[in-house]
Amino acid sequence: MATKTKAGPTKYEISINGKAATVVEGTYLLKAVMDAGFNVPTLCHHKDLTPNGTCRLCLCEVEVNGKKRLVTACNYPVRGEITVNTSTEEVKKHRKNLAEMYLGRWPNVEAIQNIAKLCGATDKEKYKSELTDENPKACILCGHCVRACSSFMIQDILGFAGRGIKRHLTMPFGDVDPHCVGCTSCGYVCPTGAIQITDDMNNPVDPELIRRHGMKVNAEMATLDKLQNRMREVGTANIVEVMDAYDLLPVHNFKFGKHPDTPKIDSKVMTRDYFTQGAADACWLGCSMACAKAVDGFELKTGPYKGQKVVVDGPEYETAAGGSNMGGFDLDFIVEYNFYCDTYGIDTISFATTMAFVMEAFEAGIITEEHTGGKKLNFGAMDEALECLHEMARGEGFGVEVGQGVRRLKEKWVKELGADPDFLNDIGMEVKGLEFSEYVSKESLAQQAGYAMAIKGPQHDEAWLIFIDMVNNQIPSMEDKAEALYYFPLFRIWFGLLGLCKIVWNDVAPADNSKYPPQEAAKIPEHVENYWKFFEGMTGIPVNEEKMLLQAERVFNLQRLMSYYFGRGTREDDLPPLRAIGPATVEEYLSREERYDKQMKEEIGIDPEGKTVEEKLAITRDHRFKQYNIVLDASYKRRGWDENGVPTIERLKQIGIDIPEVLALLEKPEQ
Amino acid sequence: MIVVNNKEKLEWYEGMTVQDVLDKMGYVYPRITVSVNDRLVQKEDYTTYEVPDNASVNVFHLAHGG
Ligand code: SF4
Ligand code: SF4
Ligand code: FES
Repeated sequence: MATKTKAGPTKYEISINGKAATVVEGTYLLKAVMDAGFNVPTLCHHKDLTPNGTCRLCLCEVEVNGKKRLVTACNYPVRGEITVNTSTEEVKKHRKNLAEMYLGRWPNVEAIQNIAKLCGATDKEKYKSELTDENPKACILCGHCVRACSSFMIQDILGFAGRGIKRHLTMPFGDVDPHCVGCTSCGYVCPTGAIQITDDMNNPVDPELIRRHGMKVNAEMATLDKLQNRMREVGTANIVEVMDAYDLLPVHNFKFGKHPDTPKIDSKVMTRDYFTQGAADACWLGCSMACAKAVDGFELKTGPYKGQKVVVDGPEYETAAGGSNMGGFDLDFIVEYNFYCDTYGIDTISFATTMAFVMEAFEAGIITEEHTGGKKLNFGAMDEALECLHEMARGEGFGVEVGQGVRRLKEKWVKELGADPDFLNDIGMEVKGLEFSEYVSKESLAQQAGYAMAIKGPQHDEAWLIFIDMVNNQIPSMEDKAEALYYFPLFRIWFGLLGLCKIVWNDVAPADNSKYPPQEAAKIPEHVENYWKFFEGMTGIPVNEEKMLLQAERVFNLQRLMSYYFGRGTREDDLPPLRAIGPATVEEYLSREERYDKQMKEEIGIDPEGKTVEEKLAITRDHRFKQYNIVLDASYKRRGWDENGVPTIERLKQIGIDIPEVLALLEKPEQ
Repeated sequence: MIVVNNKEKLEWYEGMTVQDVLDKMGYVYPRITVSVNDRLVQKEDYTTYEVPDNASVNVFHLAHGG
């Protein structure tokens, strides 16, 4: 019986060789048959490639409404209650005949010999002809390579030419195509060895090991990405709507985490109206994920190139979220500021976060039109924000001030305008002089620490722990958080040093990743292993978690010591502004009053009843800074740093970098 | 009453499915793994799998972010 529910998929009860099975609508019959424990011979089928049903060996008999017919199981989607028989006499006869034909043509190819055995075909002579190819590595026209090239690499280098007995594999115009990226996918999936890989660039010690793991990556991109984060289709832009849904999208200088206008800038609009390029040409030719996107023929409305049509690389998530942070819920604006930041050599994140800070200061009356050169810089003032950007590039007007960034603006306004330093420090989103990247960290202690402790300043190249901490609640204790703040920065630094990518590590996950307990699953163990194997394949040196952490820890501690030496590497440099760890204003508190009141009652143990908002704000502030300091202490301890956040000599000894040059950094911090 | 991710409490009602829990929690992210009382629930069963009263539901979101 078919079971159908409102939103769920339809399932069918089918019978396979008399055995009952429940199958989700659209499942290919071959999979259902295999899952039920039956075996069917296949030649053109490959688990990671879209089926094309050419070899016909997987024939099965299917009975629908009393009518029987033969179908190729690999590309037959189940769409009803059917009765399946995988080995009727007729089916066996067809298969045997087919196998004999294959055997006659390619008698020495092992894959064919195996199939022949399975189908009971022994007669090599029956179909012997002038087409017979005695080569044990002959091409058997299975098409794996053609499909791998197109679905793994988004390239169409290989194809078939000719018909019938003249059909053969070729590159366009029968020549070597310069667009081939040399990914070796085709050679990897070829079942006969007809495609041989002869060139291993960069002299890896074990190219086969690298290839084995690389192909796993490719296959996941082709088969799983579309069901998961859709990085190929929309790139990092898919995060916009996800962050809005979880109250994590920065809005109005990180005051809020969502906005009713987010649908105007989400990935649906970007893919529908903007993105025109999604080929594998982005960071580097040959990446099978190809998440970088571009907008073609975008007509600029401002600045020196006004009226010209340009190509814009992006927008990535952070750039779109920079838009919402400035209150600019308009993709034309976002693409335009993206283009000009790129063109001028300005970081979109620093620009957006600084601009958002300026806008809040303007709305709070700290600066006025008198200071901004007549520009009304309220949230959402997109034309004015662009004007600031152009001024910044020209070195004129108020834009020059904006270009100084949040830290200098705070100092300047306190000194020259007598602004309240506490307020500016609370809402100025920078640590170590770098502007925050575009995630709201307020509700995740681990994320706050991951940001603020990061050596280069508050962004997530060391740790992005919002889901595992705030949503999944997987690292509840301070020690758990400290452990995550130990492992993830080290892992990310390690693969960063190797030039490997973060997106391929965790923006797609193996289908069975959930077999690991959640703490482990968060690391995506199989993808970590891929990276270890890449390292081993390249260098010949096997690596495991312990060795990896040690390698990374040496670099990490050296970086921290250098920051220390240059005056940016102690506890006070790891402290976030209030806005990063909780509500900083009455307006903000009131916007999530229910949540904060509940936390006050349940987590702080104070009854909010009868308290003014100002009082509640102060209580929350105290509590959150206290919690932050506890997590900081726990992390320092786990890392082997002292209370001031400085690596201890003991730790440096343990990790084997207690050499004079390193120790000298400890002795003479520059003032 | 059921507990989600050892933290959030939700009122239980007769016939409450995994999908109802996800909707209530606003969990729209595509890469989640759901378990009810430590038993894994497959995606295609979210709309039919009924959550018993006093259940512990875990919705594990795989990490994300640039
Ligand atoms: S090496 Fe890669 S790009 Fe080149 S033909 Fe083979 S699959 Fe296509
Ligand atoms: S070269 Fe290999 S993979 Fe490509 S069609 Fe021939 S046998 Fe199949
Ligand atoms: S496996 Fe070749 S047609 Fe199905």
